[in-house]
Amino acid sequence: MKAFLTRRKTLLVAASAALALSLSACGGSSSTTTNPPVAEKPSFAADSTMAKLSNAGKITIGTKFDQPLFGQKGLDGKPVGFDVEIGKLIAAKLGIPADKIEWVETVSANREEFLKQGKVDMIVATYTINDKRKTQVDFAGPYYEAGQALMVNKDNNSITKPEDLKGKNVCSVTGSTPAQTIVEKYGAVLVPAATYSACLEPLRNHQVEAVTTDNVILAGFVSKEPDAFKLASDQTFTKEPYGIGLKKDDKTFRMWINDQLEAFAKDGSYKKAWDATAGTVIKTAPELPAINRY
Amino acid sequence: MTTQVPGDALVSLKAVNKHYGQLHVLKDINLNVRKGEVVVVIGPSGSGKSTLCRAINRLETIDDGEIRIDGKELPAEGKELAKLRADVGMVFQSFNLFAHKTILENVTLGPIKVKGVSKAEADKDAMALLERVGVGHQAPKLPAQLSGGQQQRVAIARALAMKPKVMLFDEPTSALDPEMINEVLDVMVQLAKEGMTMIVVTHEMGFARKAADRVVFMADGQIVEDATPEEFFSNPKSSRAKDFLSKLLTH
Amino acid sequence: MDVIIENLPQYWDGFLRTLFLSVVSGIIALIFGTVLAAARVSPIAALRGFSMVYVEIVRNTPLTIAFFFAAVVLPRLGITFQQFEVAAIIALSAYTSAFIAEAVRSGVNSVPVGQAEAARSIGMKFSQVLTLIILPQALRTVIPPLINILIALVKNSSVAGAFYVLELFGQGKQLANANGDAVVWVLVGVAFFYLLITIPLGYLANVVERKVAIAR
Repeated sequence: MKAFLTRRKTLLVAASAALALSLSACGGSSSTTTNPPVAEKPSFAADSTMAKLSNAGKITIGTKFDQPLFGQKGLDGKPVGFDVEIGKLIAAKLGIPADKIEWVETVSANREEFLKQGKVDMIVATYTINDKRKTQVDFAGPYYEAGQALMVNKDNNSITKPEDLKGKNVCSVTGSTPAQTIVEKYGAVLVPAATYSACLEPLRNHQVEAVTTDNVILAGFVSKEPDAFKLASDQTFTKEPYGIGLKKDDKTFRMWINDQLEAFAKDGSYKKAWDATAGTVIKTAPELPAINRY
Repeated sequence: MTTQVPGDALVSLKAVNKHYGQLHVLKDINLNVRKGEVVVVIGPSGSGKSTLCRAINRLETIDDGEIRIDGKELPAEGKELAKLRADVGMVFQSFNLFAHKTILENVTLGPIKVKGVSKAEADKDAMALLERVGVGHQAPKLPAQLSGGQQQRVAIARALAMKPKVMLFDEPTSALDPEMINEVLDVMVQLAKEGMTMIVVTHEMGFARKAADRVVFMADGQIVEDATPEEFFSNPKSSRAKDFLSKLLTH
Repeated sequence: MDVIIENLPQYWDGFLRTLFLSVVSGIIALIFGTVLAAARVSPIAALRGFSMVYVEIVRNTPLTIAFFFAAVVLPRLGITFQQFEVAAIIALSAYTSAFIAEAVRSGVNSVPVGQAEAARSIGMKFSQVLTLIILPQALRTVIPPLINILIALVKNSSVAGAFYVLELFGQGKQLANANGDAVVWVLVGVAFFYLLITIPLGYLANVVERKVAIAR
């Protein structure tokens, strides 16, 4: 009977641990937020989008509310993260302070619609540039190149690159592109899961060597449990350029934003934004990718 | 009344009581059956005679009292009980032949599985027993292919195959069509003549007259009379027995 | 239609894994389920209690919970395995055995009590009564419901797709992601391969049912 009780207790502990784990997802990361210096009365061509926004003194920006380190809603109801910092930097150049920005949650399914309907003025939301999307919206940037990476247990130093995974168990989401890449290109054994968070338990229990998907998603998991997991490397082995989504055919605004991004890189505010947010996990600050001025 | 010395009793019941909830079905039963004796238990339905019969090989448990077979008290559920049951043959009202086994297998199963007799020997003994009860030619058939009377004779052979010390018959002819009753009773009479110890619960008064050493009359869970057949049928002492017999005669 | 033919190797791979999970779990569940049913009718009260509690808990909780226990909780308790098929087999057989136990138990109850009494009266032990007399007779009535439980098992094995095993349904999901324009055909292919297992089982159930009907 006693053995039974202890066993039951262990189960309870395990169950509540699993629960705590899923709850902690709502806790958010501890990234600090910055308040970039706001431009005093910047001047723009009279009928440009910049002038309109600047004169209005406020802007609506779409971002993710559930992506740790990039765009995640904090306890005060305001999102924090690298995407949010980029948004703030651009707004500041328009003479709009951070507290005059209205943040709107955008998810993968509604981003194009929100831009077309004018519900948001721009979207900074881990938004991958691709040709299909370009037929519907415009992209400034890229401002960051994400890519497939590996997450391993904190104490695992034997895995640093995808080649190390040949013949080993790797967890990813069934049917996802990263899952295909790790199997077809690197010869890993796929352990398919329904969601990325479902990969955490097998990793924790050493039933898989690594979890693989975009480094942004993995960094989010690491930020929640820095004592358990780490990125195998800051390097990625695929390239996913993130752009700032804009309404189609507003070339002036797009080019102006491209200029600002380059300026942020030059004056160090890009690195500062990174270090305060995603840099807490992905220590190596990225260089601003070459801007695509189409 | 036959005098009984408990020492040489093969089956002995002492102060046995049993309840079904509120119903007191066996009231302070005392009964001794000597080796070779044939005891017929009669009584109106609901008198507890079937329960008494089933209690002797513990198909029914008892609340208190003591049942001994050949001097040994009935053990509780388990290996010991199984061993003891092998010594007590039982014939049921509804035959209860194993429906998925042939007639021959019905008879050999016990000796092979319980006693560890070789198949060849068990087959030989079984055929002899089946011939003896007159169904030898039915050996390869399934029970459902036989008439009730034939099935009951097979059931007797099945019980005899275990070479029991005592045979219990629980209304062995009650489920039979009238024309089949005699073929079963004949086998039982023959068995009695050969000296088998038998306890027979039945309504067949003819059998009681012909083969019984003693008649036990039960009513309301009690043994009311215990006498020789002549004594009981010609001169019943209790009013309940008189009543019971008079009803039988008018039918 | 082309999408099915082009991806036959993936389908076949998933089909074989589904078949493997179903056959292995089915065999384990048949054995364990029968043991549970035997425990349920045994003279030992503790066994009866265990069997009843097990069957009632497992039968009345979703299969996903069984999978969660086998694939997540067991490893947490230190019971780990590199092959997630093991977890799937544990979950599927633990779950299915509860239903098999109930089917076998009702089959046992359908055998007239006199059969057991006759067997006991010639000195058989409980285990002999059960294996020589009761179960062989119960089996005939039990086979059709058992086959239905096995058909359910084949379909239930698709839950493994969400718990780290790339069986038929998981392969289907993968193909659907890769062929967004032909999702309907991808799923038609998945259904076809399930039917390849379940239809023969259903046919078998019909045949057995007819045979049993004649035997009576």
